[in-house]
Amino acid sequence: MSAFWAMLRKQSGETRWSLGISAVALFFLSWLGVYATSSIESRIRKAATDGEEPPRMRVLRGMGGPSMDFSTVAIECTMWNHPFILLPIIVWAIGRGSSAVAREVERGTLDPILSRPVSRSSYLGSQILHASVGLLVLGAALVAGNQAGRLYYTLESPPSAWLVAKPALNLAALGFAIYGGTTLFSAVDIVSWRPMLIGSALTLVEFVIHVLVNLPAFEDWQKYDHLSIFRAYDPVEIVTTGETLNYNVAALLAVAITPIVIAFAAFSRRDLPANS
Amino acid sequence: MIVTDGLTKRYGETTALNNLSVEIRKGEVFGLLGPNGSGKTTTIRLLLGLLRPTAGSASVAGFDCWRQSLEVRTLVSYLPGELRMFGWMTGVGMLRFLASLRGGVGLDRAVAIAESVMRLDLRRKVRTYSTGMKQKLALAMAFADPVDILILDEPTSALDPSARALVLDLVREARRLGQTVVFSGHVLSEVEQVADRVAIMRLGHLVHLEDMHERRLNLRLLLIRFEDEPPLVYPDELELKERERNGHTVLLEHRGLPGPLLRWLGERNVADLAIGTDDLHSLYDRYHGPNVDGDEDKTR
Repeated sequence: MSAFWAMLRKQSGETRWSLGISAVALFFLSWLGVYATSSIESRIRKAATDGEEPPRMRVLRGMGGPSMDFSTVAIECTMWNHPFILLPIIVWAIGRGSSAVAREVERGTLDPILSRPVSRSSYLGSQILHASVGLLVLGAALVAGNQAGRLYYTLESPPSAWLVAKPALNLAALGFAIYGGTTLFSAVDIVSWRPMLIGSALTLVEFVIHVLVNLPAFEDWQKYDHLSIFRAYDPVEIVTTGETLNYNVAALLAVAITPIVIAFAAFSRRDLPANS
Repeated sequence: MIVTDGLTKRYGETTALNNLSVEIRKGEVFGLLGPNGSGKTTTIRLLLGLLRPTAGSASVAGFDCWRQSLEVRTLVSYLPGELRMFGWMTGVGMLRFLASLRGGVGLDRAVAIAESVMRLDLRRKVRTYSTGMKQKLALAMAFADPVDILILDEPTSALDPSARALVLDLVREARRLGQTVVFSGHVLSEVEQVADRVAIMRLGHLVHLEDMHERRLNLRLLLIRFEDEPPLVYPDELELKERERNGHTVLLEHRGLPGPLLRWLGERNVADLAIGTDDLHSLYDRYHGPNVDGDEDKTR
């Protein structure tokens, strides 16, 4: 086994529980979304047909953005904007980002690895690949939960796995963008709490900006939505028109890759002090 | 094999290592002595390319330790002083992982050392091991690695006396096989037993380099009480060096031949005389003993 694969295997072993629990949680949350969609679909459709817009509808419209429609998949994916779906992805991204270097330095487990003939770029590369695969696994869990749910509940027009995979990919890309920023701070630090705190604070601020500027009361602040990476995550739009998928994913990947490139450069030149 | 030239590491105002120039020969056991904060671990981490020198350079087998650290680490196996392992792995899993980072070589030998010599149960999770058992596991891997150089940072710190003796045997075996060993430690008697040369460090400086073979063969201490005032100077050919003077009594260090010394003593009014050897502890105490001033400004 090569050193790279050995490191990947070690990281998978270390994170098997957190990844497994997060994936199971997303699977059932996605399933729950299907159940909720099935339950409310008829009422929402009735309200839309009658031309009324009850308060619950307005909330859903706000969460889904201007492209909100009332197809089954749109209603399902509206729920993918909910923090309970975003949270496992964000926690994974920030957790893996802060662990990439800083936590290993902090607990002294970088020494047994980097004192052997392993390049720093290979080490960091294995961390990034592992975190990326984890994000895709979490996205796949959402798709799997959705597809499993449709077997049990009646839906007007059940979406295909391929269609649901698109917002899942968008979500994974969002997680990757958060991971990239956190990894940069991790690559230059010696304690994990700092990159974790910075990553969490930045993510929270961006989320708050995105939520605020999309409230009707703050319409004038829409231009500030460009400051938030959450602007590039729009699951409802992706499953209805599909126009922004490529752009959003590309933008999020760019946001992720830029700090990752800097992280590689910084990590290859930095001192690695003893954990004591 | 290992050469440092003016090797220096500073962290802002603090100098962790200052102008270290030393050459470690192929096949020797090189002891690094000094208290915590004397620069031993900094030296080792600079050799492994984990730290970037502020000034000077270090090379291993001709490879620059910073710019070609991958090549250096191919030749070196390192046992960290602050040992951390992955608790969720089994003992054999840990050895397999570490061996995989070197292309899978050395695993069989590491398992053999761990099971037969160190008496470890490799099926247990590492988190259930005691500190000493973890150290034994890491030692098994270090001694099994097919490398030219072993760097052992306090390798016996958590071990019981019988395991310490085993480690010293493994160090001797490594030397017999032609490996170069850098042995950093606090237990002077252990370093004294295995080291060919010893470097004593203090506050980031190399303050003394001692050839242990010469020391064992040629160095003796003389405690002489004269009837009258002891001489102020000694003939150069006797190779005498005064360490202490207290009234009519002097403590002398002698590295020369015994014949001329005995003839010279016969011509003096010597009231009493004791001849003994010097252990590493007294040498160490010259730099780190209770009577040494902690003058950091001069050395940093």
